[in-house]
Amino acid sequence: MTTPAADNDTTTAASLAVDLAGLKLANPMMTASGTCGYAYEYAGLADLARLGAFVTKSITSQPRQGNEPQRIVETRAGMLNAIGLANIGLDAFMAEKLPDLRRLRDSGPRIIVNVAGHSLDEYVTTAGRIASEDIVDAIELNVSCPNVGDGLTFGTDPQLLKDLVRQVRGAMRKDCKLIVKLSPNVGDVTQTAGAAVEGGADVLSMINTYTAMAIDINKKRPRLANGTGGLSGPAIRPLAVYLVSMVYRHVAKPAGVPIVGMGGIQYWQDAVEFLLAGATGLAVGTALFVDPATPITVMDGLRGYLVKQGCSSITDVIGQLQIGGDTPRTPYP
Amino acid sequence: MIDAGTQDSESNATPGTHHRARFDAVVRFNRQVCREHYILRLALPGGFPATRPGQFVQLGCRPPDGAIDLDRLLCREHKWESGRGVVIEQQELCGSSAFLRRPFSLAGRGDDASGTWIDVIHRVVGVGTGWLAGLKEDDKVDLIGPLGNWFSLPRGKSIGLLVGGGVGLPPMFYLAQTLAQARWAAVGFVGATTADLLAVTFVEGVVPDQDGAVAQSVVQFAQLGYGAVVTTDDGSLGLRGRITDGLVRYLQSQSPEDAQQTVVFTCGPEAMMHAVADLAGRCGVACQVCLEQAMACGMGTCQSCVVRIGHDQDDSHGVAEDGRAWRYRLACSDGPIFEAQQVVW
Ligand SMILES: Cc1cc2nc3c(=O)[nH]c(=O)nc-3n(C[C@H](O)[C@H](O)[C@H](O)COP(=O)(O)OP(=O)(O)OC[C@H]3O[C@@H](n4cnc5c(N)ncnc54)[C@H](O)[C@@H]3O)c2cc1C
Ligand SMILES: Cc1cc2nc3c(=O)[nH]c(=O)nc-3n(C[C@H](O)[C@H](O)[C@H](O)COP(=O)(O)O)c2cc1C
Ligand code: FES
Repeated sequence: MTTPAADNDTTTAASLAVDLAGLKLANPMMTASGTCGYAYEYAGLADLARLGAFVTKSITSQPRQGNEPQRIVETRAGMLNAIGLANIGLDAFMAEKLPDLRRLRDSGPRIIVNVAGHSLDEYVTTAGRIASEDIVDAIELNVSCPNVGDGLTFGTDPQLLKDLVRQVRGAMRKDCKLIVKLSPNVGDVTQTAGAAVEGGADVLSMINTYTAMAIDINKKRPRLANGTGGLSGPAIRPLAVYLVSMVYRHVAKPAGVPIVGMGGIQYWQDAVEFLLAGATGLAVGTALFVDPATPITVMDGLRGYLVKQGCSSITDVIGQLQIGGDTPRTPYP
Repeated sequence: MIDAGTQDSESNATPGTHHRARFDAVVRFNRQVCREHYILRLALPGGFPATRPGQFVQLGCRPPDGAIDLDRLLCREHKWESGRGVVIEQQELCGSSAFLRRPFSLAGRGDDASGTWIDVIHRVVGVGTGWLAGLKEDDKVDLIGPLGNWFSLPRGKSIGLLVGGGVGLPPMFYLAQTLAQARWAAVGFVGATTADLLAVTFVEGVVPDQDGAVAQSVVQFAQLGYGAVVTTDDGSLGLRGRITDGLVRYLQSQSPEDAQQTVVFTCGPEAMMHAVADLAGRCGVACQVCLEQAMACGMGTCQSCVVRIGHDQDDSHGVAEDGRAWRYRLACSDGPIFEAQQVVW
């Protein structure tokens, strides 16, 4: 097995090292929030030390029990989930999980804590407190939550999102990066991406799940107790790649803000699509349930691709998508 | 006494406390046992960690990635086969196959001269189990395990009543093996809607008793010296009625001393387990249940498999109609085995 150091060995292979707005990762591979627990749940099944970064489950200020079961259902090449942000809450996270994350960080990966909330204040206090820990390299904001005040979803309202990002950024340790995780459930994702960047996001990550529904045709009821759920897995990959390419061209590249791409990554070929579309980091979610070692096998495949392409660094591939002509394509050509 | 082990009921989050891993298993055989049910024996050439009855494995219910040349498929390279023309196979375009793994209880385990094997008994209900049904000797199966907690054999008890309904039977076979080693007395209670859905082998010449008396009729129990009571909803074999109809007769005939020594272990459809748990409760007999819930990861990361378990501290999640406070627990890692009286149905 390759050692962590070899993941960034430029003498024998292409360099996989990437830079997320100053946050240096040995390689682009990350876990996607909510699919990998708090730290060591996959120990023994995946060599977590080889990850570029580890991203935790969403943390909220109070513990959350989550939705009623049934919480998941498989659909063709994907799944719906309505977990309802079940998590142990800020206090328990700080007390019980940070020591594990510190140990994990010492072994290699950078640590990114995902934060969710249902009011501006909740986001600000939760993110501020977690960011005060020196082992937390970045906060990822899950903005796919409704605001209890007015019911608007932070991630779909550009003005609300911009205010949120600005306030959270202001409450965080300066050298802790802020990643804003974009929702695909919007008319024009470049609007929310732009708002996040204006608010002060250091990095954009995309995408969260698509709101969707599956129906039990015999009971004539939704198959999830919650009614709707978020669609993830290979089924959404082409949609995610498209949104990454849009945001890269229209927002991220001009602003010099890197993107963490995710949505259905299972094989290295999927990861290359995201890189070409403009992603710098790559997160694996649903595919971890099939094989927790997916980010590692994807990374090994990426290395082979780079060598075959004659690239000395993964950065040679990022955003290299060739689109004929100069005319920006509309979603419906 | 065989210790069912110290249960680390706390979260699985610390490394080194358990030994589950991913394995490339090889099919030894896959035999139909009755309508819709198959027994699948999987060899694990490199060995398998210690397991206990009640634990489960997550099976990849589609060709393992190693079995197909993914680089070729995903890079859209094609090949020419005489007679078939151009063959382009793209994994993701090959129709519907089970994406997530599927959980299956261990139905048995053996370590013999040719290595370690485990048994799984599966019922065909959909795309994943449909794929399992087609497995042949020497086929490869991708497996993660062992997962979950296990039935415990409490000190001071020595009689096990193994109540398995439908596809809840498999863990009972494995438990029977363990009880025999621990020198417990035991009786199997097996039930199904109709005779040809009973995933058991019958002892030749021994007909299950129509009045629900214990008989050495089921091979999986009889070979360990244990009797069994067979029930079918339609009366096509054994006692006509529900599994609880057989169990209640047995419990009522027990002496108070025996009842004290008894533990009911049950697995099957939720309504059945609920009825069994209520019955055991009314008779003052201990009872452990094996709960099922839709699972994605099977190891405590996704939070999908919650079940309601009684919890009388401040941080409960809700209060049931009967006034009991409960908290969500994970069937995959806090369970699947729980004390019946703890379950809020
Ligand atoms: C801990 C645990 C142990 C299990 N042990 C066994 C076992 O030993 N043998 C066995 O045959 N099955 C067992 N199951 C159930 C088994 O996992 C499901 O039957 C299987 O996932 C169905 O997959 P499929 O792709 O064939 O069906 P799908 O196409 O996914 O579903 C077909 C139908 O089966 C139902 N179904 C799906 N999953 C479950 C489930 N978990 N429980 C009940 N119904 C379900 C669906 O609602 C649907 O109606 C166990 C489940 C759990 C959680
Ligand atoms: C079971 C499950 C739970 C998730 N929980 C969270 C969460 O807590 N916070 C979050 O920001 N995203 C969550 N996500 C979304 C993923 O992080 C990811 O954005 C999405 O699933 C797309 O990637 P994938 O197709 O690789 O899974 C969850 C996804 C799944 C499947
Ligand atoms: S199946 Fe994922 S937490 Fe239980």
